Formats: sequence, C-alpha cells, structure tokens
Amino acid sequence: MSDTQNMSVNQPPRQDGNGKKGAGKCMLSRREFLLTSGTAVATVMVVMNAGTADAEEVPGLVATYPRKLIAKLSELKVDEPIDFTYPDDGAYSDSIVVKLGTRAGGGIGPQTDVVAFNNTCTHQGGPLSGTYKGDTKSLGACPLHLSTYDLTRHGILISGQAYQSLPQVLLELDGDDIYAVGVFGLIFGRYDNLQG
Amino acid sequence: MSAPYYIPETDVPLPPTDAEVVSTACDYCVVACGYKVYRWPVAGNRNGGALADQNAFGEDFPVDPLGSWVAPNQHNIVLHNGEPHHVVIIPDKDTKAVNLDGDSSLRGGCIAQKCYNPQSPTRDRLRSPLMRIYGILQPVPWDFALDVAAEVAKYVIARHGEAAYGVKTFSYQYIENTYAITKFALRHINTPNFTFHDTPSDVSSTPGFRDAGFDNFGASYEDWRDAETLLICGTDPYETKTILWTQWIMPGIQNGQKTILMVPRRTAGVAYAEQNGGMWIDVTPGTDLLILNAIARVIVENDWQDKEWIEKWVNNKWGSNSGFGQGTRNTPWQWRTTWGMFQTKGYDDWKKWLLAQDEFTVENAAAIAGVDPAKILTAAEWMAKPRDDGSRPKTSIMIEKGLYWSNNTGSTQSVSALGIIVGAGGRPGQMISRAGGHQRGGIKGGGYPRNKSPMKLPGRRRRALDTDTWTIAGHTRMAHVIGTTWIQSMCGSQQLAAAFEDLTVGNPNQIRSYDKEDIVATLKKRVDSGGMVVINQDIYLVDPIGNRFADIIFPAATWGEETFMRANGERRLRLYPKFYDAPGDARPDWWIIAQLGKRMGFDGFDWQNSNEVAEEASRFSRGSRKDFHMVKIAAHREGMTLHEKLGSFGTDGIQGPVFMLDDGSLEGTKRLHDTTRELHPEGPAGLNMYNKKLTHFNSQTGRCNIQKSPWSLFSDYWEWMQPKGDELWCTSGRTNERWQSGFDDRRRPYIMQRWPENYVEIHPEDAAERGIESGDMVMAYSDRVPGLKETVLGIEGSDYSFSGQMAAGNVELSRAAVTGVAMVTRAIKKGVVYMDFLHTQQPANALEGRVVDWISGNYNYKMGVARVRKIGVSPYKENMRSMSFAPRDII
Repeated sequence: MSDTQNMSVNQPPRQDGNGKKGAGKCMLSRREFLLTSGTAVATVMVVMNAGTADAEEVPGLVATYPRKLIAKLSELKVDEPIDFTYPDDGAYSDSIVVKLGTRAGGGIGPQTDVVAFNNTCTHQGGPLSGTYKGDTKSLGACPLHLSTYDLTRHGILISGQAYQSLPQVLLELDGDDIYAVGVFGLIFGRYDNLQG
Repeated sequence: MSAPYYIPETDVPLPPTDAEVVSTACDYCVVACGYKVYRWPVAGNRNGGALADQNAFGEDFPVDPLGSWVAPNQHNIVLHNGEPHHVVIIPDKDTKAVNLDGDSSLRGGCIAQKCYNPQSPTRDRLRSPLMRIYGILQPVPWDFALDVAAEVAKYVIARHGEAAYGVKTFSYQYIENTYAITKFALRHINTPNFTFHDTPSDVSSTPGFRDAGFDNFGASYEDWRDAETLLICGTDPYETKTILWTQWIMPGIQNGQKTILMVPRRTAGVAYAEQNGGMWIDVTPGTDLLILNAIARVIVENDWQDKEWIEKWVNNKWGSNSGFGQGTRNTPWQWRTTWGMFQTKGYDDWKKWLLAQDEFTVENAAAIAGVDPAKILTAAEWMAKPRDDGSRPKTSIMIEKGLYWSNNTGSTQSVSALGIIVGAGGRPGQMISRAGGHQRGGIKGGGYPRNKSPMKLPGRRRRALDTDTWTIAGHTRMAHVIGTTWIQSMCGSQQLAAAFEDLTVGNPNQIRSYDKEDIVATLKKRVDSGGMVVINQDIYLVDPIGNRFADIIFPAATWGEETFMRANGERRLRLYPKFYDAPGDARPDWWIIAQLGKRMGFDGFDWQNSNEVAEEASRFSRGSRKDFHMVKIAAHREGMTLHEKLGSFGTDGIQGPVFMLDDGSLEGTKRLHDTTRELHPEGPAGLNMYNKKLTHFNSQTGRCNIQKSPWSLFSDYWEWMQPKGDELWCTSGRTNERWQSGFDDRRRPYIMQRWPENYVEIHPEDAAERGIESGDMVMAYSDRVPGLKETVLGIEGSDYSFSGQMAAGNVELSRAAVTGVAMVTRAIKKGVVYMDFLHTQQPANALEGRVVDWISGNYNYKMGVARVRKIGVSPYKENMRSMSFAPRDII
C-alpha cells in the first residue's frame, strides 16, 4: 500500500444497532475475526487522511475481498463515471468509480474526491446506471421508486426508500493505480457480499 | 437513542425453509403495507441457505430485482415465548392489495428494527411502571402504580369534576386500545376534557368535507391510479404515503395521468410529476383557498363544469334548507350555516357568489398566493375542460394536512366546491378524499359529552373543550396522556410546556415517601392546590411529557407484541398479530385502561384478551366506514373468533364497511358514495346495515352541499401573520425518511445518520441574504407567536375573527426559538422555510400560531413565521458521515 502512512488501525467501536450478529457460522466467524483482530492484514478501521483536519474513521472489511485494479487516477475526469465490476463478476457486481471534483467521505486521491459505489439500488434492486448527476454529486433517481444517493457522503440516502446506504467500494491508491479492496454495506440481492 | 453513525452489515441470515411465517401490516403510515414476519429460533443455528430449496422464500440468491431480498435492517433478534428468535420482516411479495409488488417505504421496510432488542438502541423501551419518587422516576409494581393512579383519579373527579380529568390520546393506535380508552374516558368518566393527539379539541379535521357530504376516506387506492387528472393538495404522497405513490399514482402518471401538486416544496414526487407532464403549484402557506376558488372561477366562466353531475347530485335551495330538518341548532351543519357565510341555494347561487369575489380572479389570486397565473388556467383546463368529443376528464382530488391545517374551514369548503363542479366524489377514478396520515384505528366506546363543555359561543352551540387553553388556564387537575407527546405536537408549544412545568414539577406537593397512602395524599394536595398530576402511557419515555412532567408512567406493549386490528386509508381492515414477547412488564393500552377502570369502580372492563375487546367494539363500528361487525358474525358462525376470521384474510384484508352475502361469505366496499354501486335489491338482510354513504353522500338529502368559502373569514389572520421585515413563512411537515416524532427512527442508526437533527430548508436567495450556508446551525425564532388566552371571547358575529379577538385583548403574543441545521435548497419556495414538524428536541410547532380556526376549533398548524439567523456551524457541515444537503427533487 502506498498510502500506509495515511492509514492507522484501531479497534472499531461497537455501535448501536450493530450488537446483533450475522448468524451464519462462517459469516459470524469472519465478522468476529474482523472485529477482534487488530492486525494490519485484517484492517477494520481505516483512518483516511490521518493527521489532517479531514481525518475520519471508515470501517472497512478489506481483508477478505479481492484487490482489483479498476482505473488510473490520471485518466479520471470530473463527473465522468467509469464502470467496473466488484467484488466479482456475478449478479449486481456492476459498480462505478467517479471523480467528484469535491471532497467526499472515503474519497481517495489528492483532493479525496475519487469514490466508488455499487450501482444497484438497495431498495428493490433497480439499476442506477446512467443516473449520475454532476450538479448534485448523486446517483438516482432509481427508475423503480425514485431513491437518490449522495456520493459525497458515503452513499447516504438523499430522498427515497432504500433500506441502507448505497454500498461503497473501498479504494486504495497505488501510484496512479486505483484498486478496489472492499465493500461497505450489503449489495442488493445477496445475503453475503462474497457468497452471492 | 442512537448515535448518528451507522456501520452497515455486509451479510444477513436467511430464514430456513421451516421458519414460521406471520402475516401482518406495517405499524406506520395510513397506507399499511402488507408484511411477512419470518421467525426461527436462534438456538441450533439453522439458518437458510442460498438455494431455493434451502430458504423460506423458495428463491435462489442473489434474488432478482423486486425479489425477497433481506437488507440487514430487516433482520432482528427478539424473544418469542422467552426464547431468542431471529425475525426477518420484509414486505409481502404475494399480497394482492396495497403494496402490490411487495414494495415498501424505508420506514416500514426497516420495521424489524422497531422490535425490542436489548442489544440495539431499542434498549430503553419502558419495561416497568415508574413513579416519580424524590424527583426520580423509579420502577414500581403494576399494582402500586395503578392503585395510586386510580385513587387520585377518583378523587379528582369527585372533588373537581369530570372536566378536571383530561385524557389526551392517540386516535389511531389499534381498535382494541382506542375502544377501551374512549369507553373509559367518554362513557364512564364522561369528561369533556378529552381529545386526540392531533387537535386541541375533539373536532372534525375537515369541516368542509363534512358539510359537503364527503367521507374523509371514500376513495379506493385504484381511484387515485385511474384518475386522468389528479389534484393533490397539501402533501407529496411520495414523501408521506410512499406506496400510495409508487404503486398507484406513479402507474397512473405513467399511463398519462396529469398530476398537479399544490405544496410549497418541490420534493421527489412533485419533481417526478413535473417531469412526466404534471404541474407544481408552488402555493404560499395559507393561500390555497384563493387558488382553488380561482380554478373554480375559470371553470365556471368557461362553462366547463360537469352539468349532469351537478344537476343530479348537488342540493338546490330546498335540499340545502332541509339541513334545518336535522333538528335543533345543535348540528354541526346548522351551527356553521347560521353564520350565513357558507350556505347557498345551490349551484347557481354559489356561482353568483364566486364571480362576485374580486380576490378570486386569476390575477388577484395568483398575486396573493405568489403563483404563476398560467398555472391556474392550466389546472382548470386539465380538471374540467371537455374534450372535442364532449367527454370529460376523470378528475379526482386528494387533500391532506398542508391544505386543511392552513385554513381549516375555508380550504376544505373551497376544495369541496371545486370537487363538486368537476364531478369528483362518487365514481371510479372520480373521487375526493383525504390521503391520510396515521392508519385508521379509532372506535369510540362512548360519546363526547358536548353539553358538559364550558366553552360556548353566545347564540351558538357548545364547542368541544379546547384542552390546551383549558390546561394552560389551570383547569386540568389530572392529565392522562396516552401515546402522544401532547406538547410538541400542538401549536405554540413552548407556552404549553411552561404551563405544564408550573402545574407539575413547579408545585410544592411532590412525592417524597415510600408509603402508598402518603403518596396518594400528596398528589391530592397537589390537585387541591391548583396543580396537576400527570400519568403517561407510552412505549418510550418521552421528553418532556413523561421524562419531566409525569408522576406515573405505564409501559405499553405495541405492534407485534399484542394482537390488534386496524384499517388503512382505503378502509382496508387487517389483523396485526403478536409475534414476539413485549419487553419486560409492558402491557397493551387496553389492559392498562381495564385495570384503572376496575379500580375506579367501572363495569365492563373484565376482558381477558384483545379479541374480547375487539368483539365488544364491533357493534360500535356499525354504520361507520370501517364497519366490521359482520366479520364477527361470520366468525362466530364458523366457530372462529373475530381476530381469527380477520387473520384469515391475510395481508389482503377486507375493505370496510363489510357485508354478508346470501351465501354467508363476506364482501367489502371498494369506495364510499359509489353512485355506480348496486346494493342487494331486497335491502340489507340479517344484521347487515346499509346507510346513505354507500351510494350517496353524507348530507341530509344524500346529495352534495355546494358551499361558499369566504376568504374574509381568514384573511385578517393571514395578513397579520404574513412575514414582516426579515421574517419568513415558517411551515412544517413530515420528511419521508422519518416517521412522526421519530420514536422508532431515533433508535435506528441508519435514520439517525440521515437526520441527526431537525433541519431548516431555506431558499438559496433567502439564505444568501442572511449569510447562511448548508450545514450552518441556525435559530428560527419569533417574538409574535399568537395564542388565545381564553376560549374565544365575543358577543357579535364580527367578534369571532382574529382581529375581533385582538381587539378584545384575548390574543397573547409569546416568543419561541427552535434550532435546526440549515439546508439551503432550490426545492422550496422563496420566502418560506420548512422544518420537520415533530422533532421532539427541536419542535417546529413552537413557532406556529396557537389560534384555533374560528369555525371548526382546530389549529392551523402550518401557519407561522420566523426569523432565521446563523448561530454557528453544525458538525454535519464538514463531517461527511451524517446528513446530506443535496436537494430532494433529483429525478
């Protein structure tokens, strides 16, 4: 990782609402592992931009996801999303990486403005491709039920019906190469991001 | 409470093939989508798998769009029969009613998070009765709390009269509970100091509908879809009744419906309608009547009114006058018309009046309302202009609180007249109704004792007691508050809070004893000294009514914790079964009321379960829009209970009023006032009950009354209220992602992340003038929040106006200040700011005038002004984790 100097590892705080656990045995053990291990391999809390005024903790379940090259930073143009698939090529893996031109939660690059998101609405699975809006830095409205998402704020719902934020693809920058390394939130249609 | 920070899960357990399935409906908005609860034990770790034959849905994962996906927010762990169980609660994918695609909003969609789970932010559910002893709310046994409450209640009623015992209750939270509460308060205590959560006195929310003869909920959801032109006043259903929009109105729009929304904000539904050929009428708060009458004027000037309909279904002079035949002056109809302000001799008389009012010309109405005059002309064309072949557009009108809480009587009268002339009201796709807020769960177990109300206008009938004014004046000695914040949900609420504080914790007689007799004696001294005792039934400790003011708290069991019945906004009745254990010692409201009733010596409170309450309530539903009496009759014939029989209809339910056919089966009612419906030719058999509203209107003749709606009854208040100097209109309402006071949402990290605090939507130009940016912390404040000191004072008719009350010195101006996070947005009308109406910490209603509508006695909650000033920067301005300042009209 080229930006290790900007990342530090912490125990994640136990947050309200997350006291319950996934019940599948293998899922549970993976999560337990991630929650209790403090090693650099199982990075669970990543402080983006450590030491700057913009420092913030971003939980990332990065260890078990593939590290996939998705784009070159120098080739990204503001407000022009690029498609990729992640964490596999299966159903609902369609994702976009976009340079917003404005500071974003979980953003990478010198302006911390490069973010990536899964491209399927987390309400009822509507396709969000082609709905990126540069003026509001948003995805949507979903053609099914009109949900919209704020890409500057970790895919938080702006208005609509989604049952969770849009899953954010965690990124790493290695020189000019942008790698996808994890997903933050369950992808629509799946019961486990890595098991379909 | 939850932190405004959400860590999403990345996996979720699936229900195994043998998971138990319970059909229910959502607890929240009036639409009441059907849901299925999948329940299986945690013990054994037998979760479902990804293949269709491994999970309860019979679907392969990943599922298709609209499939049985489970978001992590749709899973929880609860106790069922004392054992931990997984529950997955998702919208019913098989339902044939309401949420057809298995669709849901995010409010209901995340309802699994409502369930009590001590490892989640629901951990502060009330689990035991509490009593404020030495200033601290301490757990006490049920008997102890009930004995004290009943003793003090009996004393208050005996010593200070029934009107000293105030009951402020939800009107909607299930038929069993509302029946028990009203039986207790109205039939047994028989107090006039009684009202529901959304009004200061027990009065109609839509007086104009009542006078015209329209039921509030006549329409069926398919009517909203099938209308060719739909005028929606005072709400964006996408924000507040989501599935009514996504499953019914959106398909209508896709099929060419012209949809007009009259609201001051451009939210997603408005933007969607506009994008698809509809129209936004960006009305200024309080001026709806002018727009509606201007549209009506254009219609009659062009002779576009529905002449056949008017001829057949509108009262002429004799029909209108036969209202007097209802009896004495003690009818709402009579009471209103004796003012000589509303009644007409029929269509021609109404038209003559309409054309004589200068304020209803397109230019004048548009100028005051701040609307492009062309929109009025377009609306009139879409609603009423006959096509070249002479056929008429099928037009429906939907109203909700932005309309009827801005000028309660005037707006509802004017919209009724407009509905009548475009032929809306009694045919498929041609209806006029409310859309609704809460579900419809009220059954009255007793009548309101109007004659005991001390509030009476000279020469008029008595008016239902205004519980806020009455309480502020110190006349309520015991306040029994059930499932409502009371204070923040009323207007001018900071004035009301101050009165509560003085009368409760400000009184020297506070419980400082371990002894029950001492405690009762202390509370008796409190009420005798002019103070007030407060008892509060709720599921959470609410601030301030429970947290700061209540002496005794009763913990209530709610949705999923007891079996209940309720109807939705198209009168669709469903069973809401118990599927998990209530927290601790929490009990349903009907049970709490029964224990109090028995201790106070009342008979008829011996119910053993909620079905017994429902079966007793059924006959009180007869003739009402949710008449379910015949469901009970059918159940008993078939050896079932009422609850079992209703449960057999699943999420499809049955629409009230319900009738039994000759073969013993049950038939619901698609729409009320259905002029196309043919009832049984031989009339109602057995216990079936037919009444006028099935095929005619709720008037004395069965035809509609077309009434005048003078602007002058309201214009003095509007002009006084109109922003002065740097004031802005300050109005309020719901936001899609948050339900009501957020009692559940404040305990959902996902929602708290979106809406950690109240917000102030402000137009970019208004914001720039004040140096305000999105994310700034602002103070919305006013030093002229009007409130009535006493009930309306006066002798002459002209005294009953805002200016008359000002002249009589009966209006007190108080101050209010509410903080919020600025949201600078293009999606609101310039000159108007908008806040969440019932954020308990930052209550926007504090800024709305506490002045009742002269005719109806209701508040105009949407009418207020505020100055807005930046006081700092909120954490959300720079922290990218919580809130979003993107506009709500992105399509």
